[in-house]
Amino acid sequence: MGKGFCALFKKDCRMLVSGKFFLMAIGFLILYTAYVNLGYIRFMQMEPYNVYLYDPAGIQTEKSPLVQIVSSMEDMDTALLSDANGVGLDSSTGEVRVVLYKGAEHVDRHRADYALSLLEPSASPAPEVLGTNTPEQKARKEITCELLFFELAAVGFLGIAAVLFKEKGMGVIRVHAILPARKDLFLLSKLAVFLLSDLAFAVLLTLLNVGLADGAAVLPAILLQTAILSLMMALVGLLCALLLKDFRQFTLAYLVIAIFAATPVFLSANTSIKFDWIGYHPFYHVYMGLKNAYFGTAISSVYYAGTVGAILLLFLVVRLAFHREIGKEG
Amino acid sequence: MRGLKYQLKSVSRDKFCLMTFLLPILVAVALNFMGSIDLSTLGELHFGVLENDLSPQTVTWLERYGPVMAYQTPEELTAAIKEPSTNVIGVNANGDSIKTAISGDELDIFQQAAATLPALYEQRAEAELVKVLTLERPDILESFQYIFIPAVLIVAMFMGCTFNAMNIISEKEDGVAFVNEILPMTPCQYILQKVVVGFLFGSLSSIITACICFQLSWNHWGLMLALILLSSFVAALIGLFTGKLSEGLMIGVVYIKIIMLVFIAVPVLCALIGVSGPLAVVCNIVPSQPAFDGIMALSAGNMGTAAKDAGILTVHAAAWFLLYVLTAAPRRHR
Repeated sequence: MGKGFCALFKKDCRMLVSGKFFLMAIGFLILYTAYVNLGYIRFMQMEPYNVYLYDPAGIQTEKSPLVQIVSSMEDMDTALLSDANGVGLDSSTGEVRVVLYKGAEHVDRHRADYALSLLEPSASPAPEVLGTNTPEQKARKEITCELLFFELAAVGFLGIAAVLFKEKGMGVIRVHAILPARKDLFLLSKLAVFLLSDLAFAVLLTLLNVGLADGAAVLPAILLQTAILSLMMALVGLLCALLLKDFRQFTLAYLVIAIFAATPVFLSANTSIKFDWIGYHPFYHVYMGLKNAYFGTAISSVYYAGTVGAILLLFLVVRLAFHREIGKEG
Repeated sequence: MRGLKYQLKSVSRDKFCLMTFLLPILVAVALNFMGSIDLSTLGELHFGVLENDLSPQTVTWLERYGPVMAYQTPEELTAAIKEPSTNVIGVNANGDSIKTAISGDELDIFQQAAATLPALYEQRAEAELVKVLTLERPDILESFQYIFIPAVLIVAMFMGCTFNAMNIISEKEDGVAFVNEILPMTPCQYILQKVVVGFLFGSLSSIITACICFQLSWNHWGLMLALILLSSFVAALIGLFTGKLSEGLMIGVVYIKIIMLVFIAVPVLCALIGVSGPLAVVCNIVPSQPAFDGIMALSAGNMGTAAKDAGILTVHAAAWFLLYVLTAAPRRHR
């Protein structure tokens, strides 16, 4: 059995090499790393609002150094036009007047009051810091988690299906029906190949983008979540390859999964936008599992029980579909 | 004309092509829908308080700045503050004043808001007396959408590439490519028919997407139309190349994905990093860069830059057409 498994495993590896699967994975790894380090980290910065003060008579003597002085109302208009989030304070008439461009109602109120507070700064107690991550660490963990999920659930999934459809087209399943090896080995070797390549991808992506020290600390938990997601996606990919007629039909299913299933999950899990129904979305829980692993948050045992159950169920369904396919071919 | 009719008929039966045509439109609708309800709340402050800790007046005051969520226990409040997807600021009573708690991984703007909140609380009475003049925002794209909408439009414009590549690959797979070789049709007719299919669908998809996303004046629309038509033409030609080079459907899909990634990544990264100088000129080799730059310029009302980008796209269109005629098309004579 071990020998049969090794032979199948080697064959699958060769198949992936010839299908440029590893090359594509390395390409995506370079692209993601460049995006995180050159683009995302620089993009994810939001400075506090700029406050511009027009005070020709010099009444505001206690103002904070954060306040920027402008010499005329025209200068203030120009500054606000180029910095629509900024707040203008006009003190030319003796009384202070706040000038700002309209945004969200709550934010506008805060901007106005914040700007006024800078005119008479008072020493308030510094906020208590409860977490351990810096903004950059958080941004790095968040985007790496998103990219890993996207890679496993969308890009890797496409690769898996491409390889399987190729095998199906070449008649490998038909050949396998008459081989003197256990039928389940065909499925297990596929799962093992994709699992190992996904784990290697997860290690490299995490260490390159989260950092060696931070990444290594959370790596075991991430690998566990990667294994869960990788097994699920490989099994769904296998099922699609066995049930759907051709790769073209599959690309339709893939487009729907990649765009419409993943977008609400990303929105709910990463922003303050929370959909009421997101709890019923299976991807959401898997994504949150991965995210919790990156941030070192505890994951409930119910989730693990659910994922093990889902993987077993998927495996049984794939096994059934595979035996049906072999029967058809035979 | 009859050949074109057959081409259109063949594409209309291809679900994949229709899906790629509809996809940018659906995303544009989703972006517009999201823009109208959700994105403004992303910059909002969210507060977490303990039940029965703050006075009702303080909670009402906090609600002026953003939603307030009450938690039963300090542990629940701490978990909500630490939750990485939100920027919840914890607010506790501190004698007559308040004190705040944050996770420490928030963006500067939220950390600053938490640091100054107790001062705002102390000055709340004076702040209410101050006059606030709210100006209408100039007609620019919302900050969160400004980069997504041109990116979606770029995808729509370059859908012609997908149409043509998939169309030619499936012709190859079905053996129609061999039949085409012996049809009484000149290479020019062939190119024209193939380009027109991708060009028509790509332009149509982009025009609908642009109508959903942009509210432009009529003179701006002229330039926008020029940008759309030129990019769609270039994309249709690149699609022909991709189709020619692809050996099978799977390789074709990989090529299309790579082209699409380059088309989106180059202009978006250029815009985010703010590339200038010789590198910016080099980036114009990717046809989506002048298209993206032109759309951004149009949305900011900069007609000069948009016209320059339309010029670059015209050069692209001529160069790609010549390249195709000189390299790929003559093979059909053999």
